[in-house]
Amino acid sequence: MTPAIDVVSLEKRYRDVEALRGVSLAIPQGSFFGLLGPNGAGKSTLINILTGLASPTSGKASVLGHDVVRDYRASRRQIGLAPQEFNFDRFFPIVEILVYQGGYFGLPRAEARRRAEELLVRFGLWDKRHEKTPRLSGGMKRRLLIAKAMIHDPPILILDEPTAGVDVELRRDLWEYWTEINARGKTIVLTTHYLEEAEALCRTLGVIDLGTIITTGAKDEVIAQAGGDLSNYFLKERRKELR
Amino acid sequence: MSASTGFFTLLRREVYRFLVLPNQTVIPPVINAFLYVLVFGYAIGSRISEIDGVSYITYIFPGLVMMNVVNGAYANNTTSLFIARHELFIQDLLVSPISYLEMALAYTLGGAIRGVVVGLLTLVLGYAALGVHMHHVGATLFFMVVSSLACAAFGNIVGLYSERWDHVAIYLNYVITPLVFLGGVFYSLKMLPESWRAANLANPVFYAVNGFRYGILGITDIAPATCAVVGLGLFALLFGTSVTLFRRGYKLRA
Repeated sequence: MTPAIDVVSLEKRYRDVEALRGVSLAIPQGSFFGLLGPNGAGKSTLINILTGLASPTSGKASVLGHDVVRDYRASRRQIGLAPQEFNFDRFFPIVEILVYQGGYFGLPRAEARRRAEELLVRFGLWDKRHEKTPRLSGGMKRRLLIAKAMIHDPPILILDEPTAGVDVELRRDLWEYWTEINARGKTIVLTTHYLEEAEALCRTLGVIDLGTIITTGAKDEVIAQAGGDLSNYFLKERRKELR
Repeated sequence: MSASTGFFTLLRREVYRFLVLPNQTVIPPVINAFLYVLVFGYAIGSRISEIDGVSYITYIFPGLVMMNVVNGAYANNTTSLFIARHELFIQDLLVSPISYLEMALAYTLGGAIRGVVVGLLTLVLGYAALGVHMHHVGATLFFMVVSSLACAAFGNIVGLYSERWDHVAIYLNYVITPLVFLGGVFYSLKMLPESWRAANLANPVFYAVNGFRYGILGITDIAPATCAVVGLGLFALLFGTSVTLFRRGYKLRA
């Protein structure tokens, strides 16, 4: 079966900085994959290349068999991205933000509205549907980001630090939602600094540091390699040993 | 899912963006034109003799319309793109399957529609206040649309280039405004000394104003065909540049 995400010898240089150094990675369809690593490891760069927010310097990346550069329109249809930073169109109320987002992905207007309303209800934002984003709380904005990523019901969902600044109750609710949609076949790629989140949700993990994939595999194997504690991948001295 | 739905969605978003902000986008330029008519038509214009057989205010009115068209189309796209980049929601487009050509085209058409809407409203004002009629409807609409498209495409380029609000203002204050004021809005080429005439011929707004003035009044300092060629050529150049910038991800993709 074609991998959901297939990355081969991917490199990205920003002037003097090598953000990715020959990254190769295959994520099978249906995975719940956690991409872990300290700040500046290359997680966001990899995600940005997969989603169209950055261009690779060399190497190949494809999404469900579609090259992210040559066949970018097809590859982007397959992905929904919930980015780390809030990025809302301030001119429109949130229901319209979702309807426009659906339209950008090719949904007819009536279908985009139906889907937007469904997601607003699911994420507890229905009462706020006519508000603009500056009037939403941090937790509501986080939910709206996820709704935006899901508007076109993509086969792959990429979540970049999706629970940063989110309270425990909402985090649990989101965890349930992601587990449920993953069980229905959606591939999920998660980056997070909350290691318990990765341990609770992901079935496979990849660890990236200094632009290189250090290890990838089943969650238990990756944890075992780290001496039973994922946080070792984030501690400077232990990282050197594990590389 | 349809390939063109993304394009039309972005175009609709661009048009709604300026329609929901009429006090910033559509009404002020029409009021400005009205003030120009008052000041130049009644206070100062009465002291200026006719130009090419029409009163001074009638002569400058097509230029006032074109000034609004140019400013409206340009400002729409610099502002829209700059805010989208600055507040990161341009990412909504960049992660979508909309092609780079469609992005450039939707932004350009959105800005051009604002230019045309403002231009038509100003024309209505001219009809009501001055009794201005169109000499050649086709030429009037042609120059209004082509000028809007070219200015919107230039707005794309500045909107992508600008890193700060300062940059947006610099191009408006130091490029667009001087080009408009020195583009024959308020005078005929015949009123200028020889050396200034040559300088005017290098100003693209001069061709837009004269082409449009031909459409409204049948009066022009330069052949309408020349104005049309310059307008279309400029649009092709600026639109081609903005498509290239979108395709390369200039200040859009890391």
